[in-house]
Amino acid sequence: MNENNDIMISIRGLKKSFKDLEVLDGIDIDIKRGEVIAIIGPSGCGKSTFLRCINHLEEPTGGEIFIDGININDKKVDINKQRQKMMMVFQNFNLFPHMTILKNLTIGPMELKKMSKEEAETKARELLARVGLSDKENAYPSQLSGGQKQRVAICRALAMEPEAILFDEPTSALDPEMVGEVLDVMKGLAGSGITMICVTHEMGFAREVASRVVFFDQGKIAESGTPEEVFNNPKNQRLKDFLSKVL
Amino acid sequence: MNFNNSKFRRITALFLLFITICAATFTITSCSSGETVGKSPVEKVDDLANAKIGVQLGTTGDIYVSDEYPDAEIQQFNKGADAIQSLKQGKVDCVVIDKLPAEAFIALNKDLSILDEEFTNEDYAIAVAKENDELLDKINAALDELEANGIMQKIIDNYIGDNKGSYKYETPEGTDKSNGVLVMATNAAFEPYEYVEGGKIVGIDADMALAISDILGMELEIEDMEFDSIITAVSSGKADMGMAGLTVTEDRLKSINFTDSYTTSTQVIVVRNGKSDDLSIFSLERYENNFIKDSRWKYIAEGLLTTLEISFFAVVIGVGLGFIFAIIRATSDKTGKLKLLNLLVKIYVTIIRGTPVMIQLLIIYYVIFATSNINKVFVAVLAFGLNSAAYMTEIVRSGIMSIDNGQFEAGRSLGFNYVQTMRHFILPQALKNVLPAIGNELIVLIKETSISGYIGIMDMTRGADYIRSRTYDAFPPLIAVALVYLLIVMILTALVGKLEKKLKTDGK
Repeated sequence: MNENNDIMISIRGLKKSFKDLEVLDGIDIDIKRGEVIAIIGPSGCGKSTFLRCINHLEEPTGGEIFIDGININDKKVDINKQRQKMMMVFQNFNLFPHMTILKNLTIGPMELKKMSKEEAETKARELLARVGLSDKENAYPSQLSGGQKQRVAICRALAMEPEAILFDEPTSALDPEMVGEVLDVMKGLAGSGITMICVTHEMGFAREVASRVVFFDQGKIAESGTPEEVFNNPKNQRLKDFLSKVL
Repeated sequence: MNFNNSKFRRITALFLLFITICAATFTITSCSSGETVGKSPVEKVDDLANAKIGVQLGTTGDIYVSDEYPDAEIQQFNKGADAIQSLKQGKVDCVVIDKLPAEAFIALNKDLSILDEEFTNEDYAIAVAKENDELLDKINAALDELEANGIMQKIIDNYIGDNKGSYKYETPEGTDKSNGVLVMATNAAFEPYEYVEGGKIVGIDADMALAISDILGMELEIEDMEFDSIITAVSSGKADMGMAGLTVTEDRLKSINFTDSYTTSTQVIVVRNGKSDDLSIFSLERYENNFIKDSRWKYIAEGLLTTLEISFFAVVIGVGLGFIFAIIRATSDKTGKLKLLNLLVKIYVTIIRGTPVMIQLLIIYYVIFATSNINKVFVAVLAFGLNSAAYMTEIVRSGIMSIDNGQFEAGRSLGFNYVQTMRHFILPQALKNVLPAIGNELIVLIKETSISGYIGIMDMTRGADYIRSRTYDAFPPLIAVALVYLLIVMILTALVGKLEKKLKTDGK
């Protein structure tokens, strides 16, 4: 196995602007399989847009994104197939309110992976048990708390058996006492071999769980390294200012 | 006993509403019919100069009165029976109308009389399209033949005068009918020339037309429509000839030709004589006359089936097209694709919503399908379906747009394509949100079909009109039909409510 095979996501010169506003201004990064990347930075620095570009919810205005060596911005590529490798977990959960929790978890595998109902439900129940929500399978999303909803959303992503999960500020919309239960689930995932890219404001989580921390500033990667390097020995002045505010 | 409390309350509420409406109607009508309106102020022809005169729109009476009495207040009605009804209620002082229908009216209404002075004479003729000289000549030849062999006079005597019912024209045995179909346009509310009896259109004109078609060797087909539509039907080719007590006038000659006259009539003046018409709201005889006699209830029952048929298929078209158009509109708004289709749908919605549904119905029947002999119910289904689709488009589109974009992104990010995302996540939620609005649109649609009579469809409203044109009594048939519409809408409302409950799955 050569080294290149180990790289799952490779991004070259990624640019994205909304009309005159330039949000991403040339991003280059390689992400290896199994890595846990924490993306931090001040608001408006392009973190979320970066994540949405990888999932192709936003179309880049420049540069290239390769997933397993395939350029996903190529019009000939079946983006729906590519997306199934990387699931997205949203800040606002975006569970389907007209379906039960179990149905939220099984609709993807059943419709897209042609899994049988029994198989999909068995798998969904396993996942719900892992996050401690076995008793909620017949509930509807509106009957759940924010923390419970986000745990279900993570299960929904895992049910598709993705190679990577993209977390877009998964705890920002939660009441403080619920942040912990979601972070615990995420910690449990790290190291399981799944690639994780987390846009987060939880510095404790980034320091403890991430294998690499990336600092975004004004649409560029201003600094990146291990948690020790970034948190204990920051070089970039903007990173130092940022850390002094949030730590 | 396990009693469903909310259901019981709802049924009680509906029942009370029903009773209130009935009680209110009865109170209003019994109050108004309790007082007699009194004698008409018109006693001789000269009194017309400053009177309120009722006429049937487009008839000779209408044209003469308008020309001769510029100071009179003229009210034009679609039917002679409507004009008579207004006279009874004191809304007009007199009605100028053909002598024979007038005699039929006063025979049924003790409070009306005909003035002795005759107003004017007129000749009735058959209308034929301008370019159709061949048919004109053939009909003239047929009329000559009927006059020569005495059949024309026999037909007229069968309906007018002392020898009524003495002769019934029938197609001679062995008549060759292989020369095609002869379509006659008429307005069957003009006794004794054309009226409905036992579900069939009969009268002098109907028999005369049959005799003519026998001579021409053609099958006769009678199309019943509004009086003021007859000329249009003939000139546009919907019908081959018009026979409805039509008088030759300058204006009519501009758009159609007339054959030789086949009979003469007189215009008379009908007035109130100050007597009571003895009509009580509670008189059983009145209801018997309106519904039981001559099986008149069948007009409403058969009309109801037609109304339901038109409504059902129009709803299918409206909902089906509405969903497709709404998805086109929403897709274009969200993704910027399908620009051309979106523009077409936008134009369609603007035009349909910007014009009255009745005009659309008439345009589809008289303009778009002008020359083809098309099923009228199909035309109505098309017109109401296309009309409803425009409203449905905007309703469903608003539903789609009301769904948070996050739902869309969640579906797409799971790997569902655009269509799958719409189907599994967006439309079910959108539909639930707009169900009350859709229910509302369906109610409007069902009630709107009541204008189907304008292209001569025997729907429920038209059925009531038929009864009214025979009994000259507006209250029982109109109230009966109103109650049936109310019942349909109440059932529909209950069904939509049930569906709403079923779709309400978010536990709130």
